[in-house]
Amino acid sequence: MVFSNRIDEKDLHKEQKLLILAAFPALFLIFGIFYGLVEGTKGRTILEGLSAIILSPTTLITDFLVIGGIGAAFINSALIGFYNLYLLKHFKMRINGLLIAAFFTVLGFAFFGKNVINILPIYLGGYLYARYQKIPMKNVILVIMFSTALAPIVSFITFGGIFQEGFSYLMGILAGLAIGFIIVPLSSHMIRFHDGYNLYNIGFTAGIVGTVITSALRSFKIDIAPVNIISESNNPWIIGMLACLFIYLIGAGLRTNPTTLKDYKKILQYRGRTITDFTSLVGYGITFFNMGVMGLSSLLLVLLLGGVVNGPVLAAILTVVGFSAFGKHPKNAWPLVAGVILAGLFFSYDFSSTTFIISLLFSTTIAPIAGAYGPIAGVIAGMLHLTLVTNIGIIHGGINLYNNGFAGGLVAGFMLPIIDAFKRGDSRP
Amino acid sequence: MRHEIKKICRIVDELTTMFLKDDTDEVDFKIITSPEKAIIRIVDYHTNYSDQMIDQLRTTLNNQRQSEIEEYYWQLAGENDDDDEELTLISAMIDTATVEKREGNLYIELVRMNR
Repeated sequence: MVFSNRIDEKDLHKEQKLLILAAFPALFLIFGIFYGLVEGTKGRTILEGLSAIILSPTTLITDFLVIGGIGAAFINSALIGFYNLYLLKHFKMRINGLLIAAFFTVLGFAFFGKNVINILPIYLGGYLYARYQKIPMKNVILVIMFSTALAPIVSFITFGGIFQEGFSYLMGILAGLAIGFIIVPLSSHMIRFHDGYNLYNIGFTAGIVGTVITSALRSFKIDIAPVNIISESNNPWIIGMLACLFIYLIGAGLRTNPTTLKDYKKILQYRGRTITDFTSLVGYGITFFNMGVMGLSSLLLVLLLGGVVNGPVLAAILTVVGFSAFGKHPKNAWPLVAGVILAGLFFSYDFSSTTFIISLLFSTTIAPIAGAYGPIAGVIAGMLHLTLVTNIGIIHGGINLYNNGFAGGLVAGFMLPIIDAFKRGDSRP
Repeated sequence: MRHEIKKICRIVDELTTMFLKDDTDEVDFKIITSPEKAIIRIVDYHTNYSDQMIDQLRTTLNNQRQSEIEEYYWQLAGENDDDDEELTLISAMIDTATVEKREGNLYIELVRMNR
């Protein structure tokens, strides 16, 4: 049986935790402004870049580093990051592992798919749901943060050219409101399909919603054409900045809990299945340390495979970092990574391609399978994940940004009853 | 709050599974609901839990009510008999927990305020 550990660490106030998280959007904003000014001298200003990001249909895969430029993409991410931090502070939320995961996921996907405009109708839809059900907005804010995975629907309907300009704005806003309204009960219900073994549950839910919406659009002969706009070259400043931020997290962890190095093994005993909130189980010090370690490992893996740290890869790395506060650690993540690499070898994938790299990093969404059933089950899950994720994007037409969460949910829902069928008797000692 | 009765049943389901699987062959549950709050009283007879484990159980259950986690994940409670991660979920769904060992039995009282 696994309970909370006795945690002897420096007590952090809520504001201190928010400040630690705020370092990410703060540095992104400073970097974005300086880099944007440099880009401005070469032809594209920050405002032009932000405008291009906002007016893009943003379907998978649209890299904002290409669409709007590096400066504007980082400013977009910073603004979305600060907006969400403001909401957490405004609603007096306890900064738990899940909120940290949500914050980093939103921050990361602001590099490919989410912008300062297309997320707003979804938040408003969540607000309307809370008013309708007479529950506080703070109860649903977490799901709404994650549900911005479907923000491309708002952009596609608004700027995809399927309706007349003007009317398309109204339809885009209505689509966002509808998503925000229905996503809370849907996500709560869908989790039973995979029993919490898929950490990106909203990705699974958004995949179902995206499939329904895309099918409806196709019935009206409106097809969502997949795009593949991705940056093909590495920027040393981005890599350096990420490395510094992850070292900063490790430092924050060591400062919060000086015995982190000695106690780090405690986090490895957890299987990671939802709900594994490391902030309450092992404390904030070990949690921040784990986030930094996972971030550095992810970055190193991308570079070792010859990949490019572009918008989608930034999203993948930051999501892994976020969920390292809520279920992921090296012990339950490596079998998935190994499984994806094995499947990649078998099916002759290009290891340096962005599609492969993000599948590799996001495959850790089903790390709890390895945590609960061992590394062999984890490797098989990783192999299955790669085969599914490269084939299911077509179903939802690329309007679900968390495509890997959708695949992960299917893999977990498929594997768990089979694993259970091979178990004999009860597990009572 | 929606699905209030079902959420209480999920809490009971989760704890029944945990005690019968990990600790004992005999458990009593008493559930009292009122417009203000719900109280769940549990007696886990002839407990084998050590004092340290009981102390950890008390700490875990008194973590803090977290409405956003409850709203999102409450349907997971009582769903699985393979691990104990859902105890964190139970702690997010209750306001206070009293955990005591007396005469070889484990007495637990959970209070869930209606909000």
